[in-house]
Amino acid sequence: MPNVIGETKKAFITGNEAVAWATLAAGADIMFGYPITPQNEVMHYWTRLAPKHGRGFLQTEDEISAGFTVCGAVQAGKKAFTATAGPGNVLMQEPFGMAEAMRLPLVAIIQQRGGPSSGTVIYSQQEVTLTTFGGNGEGHRIVYSTATHQEMYDYTIKAFNSAWKYRFPTFVLGDGYQAKMREPLEMYNPEEKGLEIVKPFPLVGLDGHIGDNREPQHLCNIYSMEEELYEVVLDFVKDYNAIIPEVAEYQAQQCEDAEIIILTHGVVSRAADDAVKILRSQGIKAGSFRPITLRPFPTNDLRNVIANSKAKTMLIAESAYGQLDRLVKQEIYGETIKIENLFMPGVGIIDYDIISKVKSII
Amino acid sequence: MVTHQYSDRIVEAFVGEYASGKSEMAINRAIELRKLGHKVTLVDLDTVEPFYTLRPLKELLEEQDLHIISFSTKESFGLGETGAMLNPRARWALMNEGDIILDIGYGVYGAKTLNLVEGAEESLELKVMAVFNYSRPMTNSLDKIIEYIKDLGRVDAIVANTHLGNETTLDIIIKGNNEIIKAGQELNIPIAYIAIDKVLYDEAKDYNFALPVKYIERYMPNAMW
Amino acid sequence: MMVAPVTPKSWYLPSKPHKFCPGCGHGIVLKALGEAIDELEIQDRTVFGCDIGCSLLSWDFFACDSTQTHHGRTTPVMVGIKRSRPELITIGYMGDGGGYSIGSQHLLNAAVRNEKVTLILVNNTNYGMTGGQMAPTTLPGQKTETSPFGRDPEETGYPTKGPEFIAELTPDSAYVARATVSKYNQLKRFIRNALRNQMEGNGFSFVEVLSTCPTNWRTNAQQTWRFLEDEMEPYFPVGELKTPFGKGGAK
Repeated sequence: MPNVIGETKKAFITGNEAVAWATLAAGADIMFGYPITPQNEVMHYWTRLAPKHGRGFLQTEDEISAGFTVCGAVQAGKKAFTATAGPGNVLMQEPFGMAEAMRLPLVAIIQQRGGPSSGTVIYSQQEVTLTTFGGNGEGHRIVYSTATHQEMYDYTIKAFNSAWKYRFPTFVLGDGYQAKMREPLEMYNPEEKGLEIVKPFPLVGLDGHIGDNREPQHLCNIYSMEEELYEVVLDFVKDYNAIIPEVAEYQAQQCEDAEIIILTHGVVSRAADDAVKILRSQGIKAGSFRPITLRPFPTNDLRNVIANSKAKTMLIAESAYGQLDRLVKQEIYGETIKIENLFMPGVGIIDYDIISKVKSII
Repeated sequence: MVTHQYSDRIVEAFVGEYASGKSEMAINRAIELRKLGHKVTLVDLDTVEPFYTLRPLKELLEEQDLHIISFSTKESFGLGETGAMLNPRARWALMNEGDIILDIGYGVYGAKTLNLVEGAEESLELKVMAVFNYSRPMTNSLDKIIEYIKDLGRVDAIVANTHLGNETTLDIIIKGNNEIIKAGQELNIPIAYIAIDKVLYDEAKDYNFALPVKYIERYMPNAMW
Repeated sequence: MMVAPVTPKSWYLPSKPHKFCPGCGHGIVLKALGEAIDELEIQDRTVFGCDIGCSLLSWDFFACDSTQTHHGRTTPVMVGIKRSRPELITIGYMGDGGGYSIGSQHLLNAAVRNEKVTLILVNNTNYGMTGGQMAPTTLPGQKTETSPFGRDPEETGYPTKGPEFIAELTPDSAYVARATVSKYNQLKRFIRNALRNQMEGNGFSFVEVLSTCPTNWRTNAQQTWRFLEDEMEPYFPVGELKTPFGKGGAK
């Protein structure tokens, strides 16, 4: 792998730039994109940097095309990705579905903005349902929800590895705040950290002579028989369930002795962590749980945390009206811990909001 | 031929790489001049970015008796998507009385954004100040800084604004700014001053920078949309 | 004595006999394409992509690497492959609905960008696989399941003339032609030119092929041929609209 970062050092950048640099460092070959706020600087910086490193770019006619060109490029054996938000994420559900159906290692960066419709260009966590379970499939996707610029960098690199290792479409779910905020992070070449970069491989355009030393490839996503499709989907389920222990990630803090667990994801988890510190300094024993992977969800981990905690209440806080809440409830069905909510769709949540809510319910 | 009356008012435009600190420098400069008793107009010429611009800070700055030419967040509501919005009053900014501080957004056209301001090209008063932060990946080596300045177009002076957010150390400031200073020397462009967050005053005050130092306040972290 | 027909080497024999209806033009187009692939010796480096609709039935037609896409999305998938691996020969195969309706923005913009892919669009004036609905190419007065009283251009406009608009959008290095299954040698020559144009790295290559759909037209053999030659061909003129090879250069 070429050294694109130079020596490892701290940089002061926006989340979108972190993504652009991380995709380069991960060895992405080509980006396909279409302008939409708040992800534009991913394209701005990719187009500035890519030619210097022999990487490709195409601005397509719309997000549908951006998603399908990525599908084509990864079939041809190249590490390809796109970045989008809001209505663009809606349009991309069609190619994302094809990537699920054909097990294509597509990588997409989602910087959530307010919805429904064009909403705001600013911030939200309202693309959780769409990114985890969008499309007419079963949500066989890997979705990393990041909280810091360092994570945007780390998980963008990881997304390519997961996509090519497991061949499920893989998403880095950020938001407008993370996209545009500035903060320091460490940029590095993955090899220097001992991270192995998973090599891409083609599904079409293989070496060799057809009929001589290889068979032609016939890739499909449509089936004649219900039973055929059933077998295929069940195989996906089996494969997907098998990777959960390897892929699912979470962070839990101070839940054991907590009287309340604050469950958040993404950038809101930063507010939750601050809230836990402040609440504890005020004598209220709070803990926090944060799924890093929204798909696959760290279900067993959360159940264990609940089982080993004194908490009788769990507060689910999100910048959406219950998208994380629904996801959590379906995953931990049967748990008896009482669930309270702080829903602020399309609006940032700060420690104060969480602290006030906690005090009002315990 | 346009004739210009000489005046000693201050007209400065802050240009530079994305997130280099242009807005921060512009705000601090405007407030500094206001405190000296000048009448000051601060102009938001960031046509690209509806985030981290003056918009969310407009009312706060007006309380400090600055004349602000910028859309307020409310005025730009729903227009954020288009991003590239030029406030008509910004076009005629130089016609205002008193000092004028222009905050220029980033983009491939660099200092050419000033073409949008009537009279900027002919102005004898205008100084174009390029802001650099060595911790920005696009300007983190001497060669990259020199290349960047050449791309910017007209630059009259450089502001050395190396920092790493809340992880800034004196060492980071000194090492980074030294490269920026070298770039200025190579291109024969003066360094106007070194900008340091005032929270680092105690650490930095005894160090001999051999250049003017301005201790600035960081307003922009409050400018989230 | 029965004589087995000679099949192109690039055909995938386990999928034969193919699944198209008797009298359908697809088989003729795909035979011409197969022979062109053989003659140009590009079987090993061809990637064939097919749309949804009757064109989907070609997904395992060739002994070439092949991939199914979505309705209308074959063009961007082929563009993605070609942009990533320029040494591959990418052939997108679609119907009039996929190309001129649901995928028209992709077709139009790929043409404008002069993408170095070859697209073959089969025009049979209706949506075949979904049961004979009106297509962008349905002729004025033609009855379909969604224009039961005949297509009224006042209501639904006139048939799309694809090669004409693509010729307007593309630079001189593009190849744009309209062929018909009624003139096999010409059809094969146009397809070969469209592939050659991609192989030489010149630019976008597009061939619309006028084809037959007796099943949905509800026509016997004579009526089918008459509709193709007497109704379609006068409306959709056959020939090369743009060729970088020049007259006579086209073999």
